[in-house]
Amino acid sequence: MKVLAIYSIKGGVGKTTTAVNLAQQAAASGSRVLLWDLDPQGAATFFVRVKPSVKGGADRLIRKAGSLAANIHATDDPAVHIVPADFSLRHLDLALDNTKHPTRRLAALLEPIADRYDVALLDCAPGITLTSESVFGAADALIVPTIPTTLSKRTVDQLTGFLSEHPPAPMVLPFASMLDRRKRLQRDIVAHLMADVAGFLPTAIPNASVIEQMGIQRSPIADFAPNSPATLAYRRLWADIAARIWS
Amino acid sequence: MTTTLVDTFDGRLHRAGLRLELRTSEGTELVLSGQDVVPAHLSVDAVPRVLTDLPPGPFRSRVASLIDVRALLPQVRVRMERSAGVWRDGTGKTVAIAELYENVHIINRPDIDRSTTIEIHEVPGYAERTRRARTVLRGVGLEQCGLDTLAQCAAAADVDLAGFKAAATVPLEPDMAALDGIRAVLANLEVAIAANWQGAIDQTDTKFLHDLRIALRRTRTVIAASESVVPAEVLGPAREGFAWLAGATGAARDLDVYLLEWKRYTDPLGVQAAVALEPVRDVLARHHADAHLGLGHVLGSERAAALIAEWRGWLAEPVSNESLPRRAGHPLGKVAAKRIARAHDALIDQGRLIGPDTPADDVHDIRKDAKKLRYLIECFSSILPDKPRKKYVKQLKALQRNLGEHQDAEVHITLLRSLTPELDAAGANANTMVAIGQLTQRLEQTRVVARAEFAERFADYDSPATRRSFDALIEAIAT
Repeated sequence: MKVLAIYSIKGGVGKTTTAVNLAQQAAASGSRVLLWDLDPQGAATFFVRVKPSVKGGADRLIRKAGSLAANIHATDDPAVHIVPADFSLRHLDLALDNTKHPTRRLAALLEPIADRYDVALLDCAPGITLTSESVFGAADALIVPTIPTTLSKRTVDQLTGFLSEHPPAPMVLPFASMLDRRKRLQRDIVAHLMADVAGFLPTAIPNASVIEQMGIQRSPIADFAPNSPATLAYRRLWADIAARIWS
Repeated sequence: MTTTLVDTFDGRLHRAGLRLELRTSEGTELVLSGQDVVPAHLSVDAVPRVLTDLPPGPFRSRVASLIDVRALLPQVRVRMERSAGVWRDGTGKTVAIAELYENVHIINRPDIDRSTTIEIHEVPGYAERTRRARTVLRGVGLEQCGLDTLAQCAAAADVDLAGFKAAATVPLEPDMAALDGIRAVLANLEVAIAANWQGAIDQTDTKFLHDLRIALRRTRTVIAASESVVPAEVLGPAREGFAWLAGATGAARDLDVYLLEWKRYTDPLGVQAAVALEPVRDVLARHHADAHLGLGHVLGSERAAALIAEWRGWLAEPVSNESLPRRAGHPLGKVAAKRIARAHDALIDQGRLIGPDTPADDVHDIRKDAKKLRYLIECFSSILPDKPRKKYVKQLKALQRNLGEHQDAEVHITLLRSLTPELDAAGANANTMVAIGQLTQRLEQTRVVARAEFAERFADYDSPATRRSFDALIEAIAT
């Protein structure tokens, strides 16, 4: 099982929509996917219509062996399962801090179910916290949505700088998210990011209203707009990621 | 829609608790599922037959780890009308799925009638809803059956989803008559020969020829160990006929192995050398095609058909008690123990004569001796005690591995050298000739290392510990 974390230091960059749509694309290309919602807001959980409930809360989820498997629910896509989030995950850092090896804890929780899935997609909350460090310890790669602003490169640099000081580091795969192609500045920024940032993926996800509709439809966009440019972009993005991970 | 259940000839996916379905309706989709296994779906443009027909990724990796070189073959094809209904909760989330299968027809089996079925699929995390759905259906008088629609169709069509798996031996008793025991072993091997025959001709996958070759070699080994047990008038033609058949499989199998191992041989030489060696691969592929054509002619010949028909006839006929060879009625255990001991002693005697300068052909003879011994143990394993057998075979296998590495390298070096004039005449460029030199050198290194290790491997085998395991193995049936 490959563990891919959808992660960014910044909030509001499209992490959850990326996680849900990549889960759908991964499943459509033959993978068995576990989506783990690590964000107490539980937006990924909401998008797939699963009840936001963690049995026994964050503390039990983190400390009890086998608790991850007990929290798994199927989504409407038979190849995608989810570990839902609830508000108790706001205490995730505290729960991890109470374990012996907090930065290796998420990897240890995923290990017993590694044979059941091909891909685990972790939908992470923003910031660099103890939970983030545990995510870095579990992930084979960080998929980093990067919005086209002048400070974007600095954000990616901060992340790679942090990782280089805390080896072993997962692969970092940033990509352009929420791109408005009508704006020349955004197009220029993305071109620079692709040229300057190592591992930057060639596919950009558009800033499209169809993505916003996920909140109303409560499903990945491929389910209600299968031929939209955004769906095709997520398909290409997954192909980019798969080529890097399974090459 | 049409659903085809796909598996290897030896049912590898089924044995691993998996099921691979090819579903065709508007598009074509592969579904890999199993009990308590998250199903994986993959859209495909064409029906996959071998691994490389699948796109790279996790789906192919999972299948690859199980099927290896085997081809995916249709086991049962079913045409049916499928309607699905879902039970949703207040948020619209699916919590249970019901599928109705009507007008179910097994393709090419119009004689089989199938009834309408409803399958209830549990949605992980919502088990209670599935239980309730089942209770409702039972309440309206529906009968619960243990198998799903596709499994019912396979059972109705007498398709054994476990596939064909050749066992070397059959149930035997040490005190049964030697002739009866040997005939039972040979009849079992004949089933393996027949099962793999057509697949080897058609080149369905390389395992067919491999398994055919093993069954032929085992047959030859048991025949050779059957003197004074099997009547000479049966033994003589069988010995000659099976030697001819087995010999005809050699070139095709050697080239199968060469092409299967090609990447492992050439990858360490680097990309440039691998590209330069492409003309060699092309020549090998041509020789491979010729060798298989020749094999096809032999297996399809009247001589082969007559040999197998006569052999099958003798195995099926009751044995007349008149003028049987003198050991035909001896206890099988005693006879098998003597023949296995003789093979073991031959291996030890020959192995002790091998020195650093012994010609490669003599080392190859040792390999053949070790194989014969292994085949005898496998063929009579049902009367041999498990524990000492496994211990002894482990030691024998270590020696065989070393001999196998040596022989494969030797064969492939010889073949490569034999191709050089052909490549030269075809105008192969300097890069190709240099790369051939690199590949030969690499194979030569493997051969030299294996040869250097032989003394150590043989000393491990020719040890008091091995002798003790062997004695324990033989004593159990010899008395």
